[in-house]
Amino acid sequence: MESTFNVKEFLIALRKRLPLIIIVTLLFVALSGIVSYTMMKPIYQASTQILVNQKITNSLQSNDLNIDANIQLVETYNIIIKSPAILSEVIEELELKESVSDLDKSITVSSEENAQILTLEVEDASMERAVLIANTTASVFQAKIKTLMNVDNVNILAPAIVPVDPEPVKPDPLFNMAIGAIIGFMLGTGLAILVEQMNTTIRKEEDIEEITGLQVLGIVSNVPGSKEYKRTTNINEKKELIADVDAEKIKGVSNPKIGGSY
Amino acid sequence: MWTQKKSKGSATRKLVGHTKPQALVNEQYRTIRTNINFSLPGHETKTILFTSAAKEEGKSTTSCNMAIVFAEAGKRVLLVDADMRRPTLHHSFHLSNKIGLSNLLLKKGRLQDCVKRSGITGLDLLLCGQIPPNPAELLSSPVLDDLLEEMKARYDLIIIDSPPLLAVTDSKILANKCDATVLVVNTGKTEKDSVKKARDALVTSKAFILGVVMNNYELTKENYYYHNYNS
Repeated sequence: MESTFNVKEFLIALRKRLPLIIIVTLLFVALSGIVSYTMMKPIYQASTQILVNQKITNSLQSNDLNIDANIQLVETYNIIIKSPAILSEVIEELELKESVSDLDKSITVSSEENAQILTLEVEDASMERAVLIANTTASVFQAKIKTLMNVDNVNILAPAIVPVDPEPVKPDPLFNMAIGAIIGFMLGTGLAILVEQMNTTIRKEEDIEEITGLQVLGIVSNVPGSKEYKRTTNINEKKELIADVDAEKIKGVSNPKIGGSY
Repeated sequence: MWTQKKSKGSATRKLVGHTKPQALVNEQYRTIRTNINFSLPGHETKTILFTSAAKEEGKSTTSCNMAIVFAEAGKRVLLVDADMRRPTLHHSFHLSNKIGLSNLLLKKGRLQDCVKRSGITGLDLLLCGQIPPNPAELLSSPVLDDLLEEMKARYDLIIIDSPPLLAVTDSKILANKCDATVLVVNTGKTEKDSVKKARDALVTSKAFILGVVMNNYELTKENYYYHNYNS
């Protein structure tokens, strides 16, 4: 529509629509707050730490190689924990309704770099269940690894416990509201620009010059409640006017409208 | 009876030019007067037509107030209501619309008899008169040319209020016969397209377009130069 993009005009337009932007932003913040506090189920997290202790069998092995082997081992264990072999046993033991893939999604295994510790995190709607699944998985893993790897080098370092006052990890209302604020602000700004672009009326003096190429002779601002024209005080003219109106009244016609109108 | 008439006249035009000589709006009308004076190509320009693209954009208000500020400047001004479809001038000045332009165009009466005094020094009025069935035909007749010549001989300036350009053809006829045309735009209401069409209509009728008056302009603090100097 406009041939040139004027940043100042754009900002002025945005400032004019600032209430709209603020309202949309607040709306989104409120919406995300309501959704995360009432509609989203809280998710609790329990974590267990597993120590992988590699027994040094060959002292001739270089130190570097040893560490490399350990890291590889940790990564292998990482995958083993989440394998169906372990998870199906956990499901069996706890008589869970979830499938293996469901459980797989709720379990995260992470390892610190250059450390022989695995952290097993379980997310669940119930804290007790999360703790139970975490501990069962760890113990099943510990028992299974003996047959799988022919080694007994896994120890549970810190079993998951139910805290006195469990705090849900998800949803994070503040984070959600911040996201809501950003989306709301962007949407409000977009809406403001849209409204501004939809308005095709003449609003500025520049519009006239741009569209018609005519000069603006002047502007007339709105007259707030100005008094109407005061009637003439000349007595003769007043009489004339009264006579005029009288004649009209007698005839019973004022402004006979014969012609067409627009 | 007067009070009756007064209450009926709620549609009265805002004649600020007369009631509030110090008002900011009045100063704006004076600015337009100055700009028109500077834009006029020589002294032969005596008839100025006020028109707009669509209805209710402030033609009548603007032409009334412009007539008042021109009269204020010491000119003998005749304000003509050529809107023969929806005349309003008699409302503004609380006059009866019994005789006026339509009578003159039908060659019933003389100019000096049909002209009414406004009560403002230097400003005379020619109302519409009874609404004729064929305004366009009346306006295009050569009688109007003679009438305009007679008006020019008697007055310094003739300001004509006309119907909207895009609705009826009257304004195009008048614009062709007048020396200059002023387009009134209702700021924030008039569509850009209709202004463009109105301009094109005036160009095709070979009118001399003086410029545009922006009506109902909302003053913001950015328009500092229009702020009232008096207060």
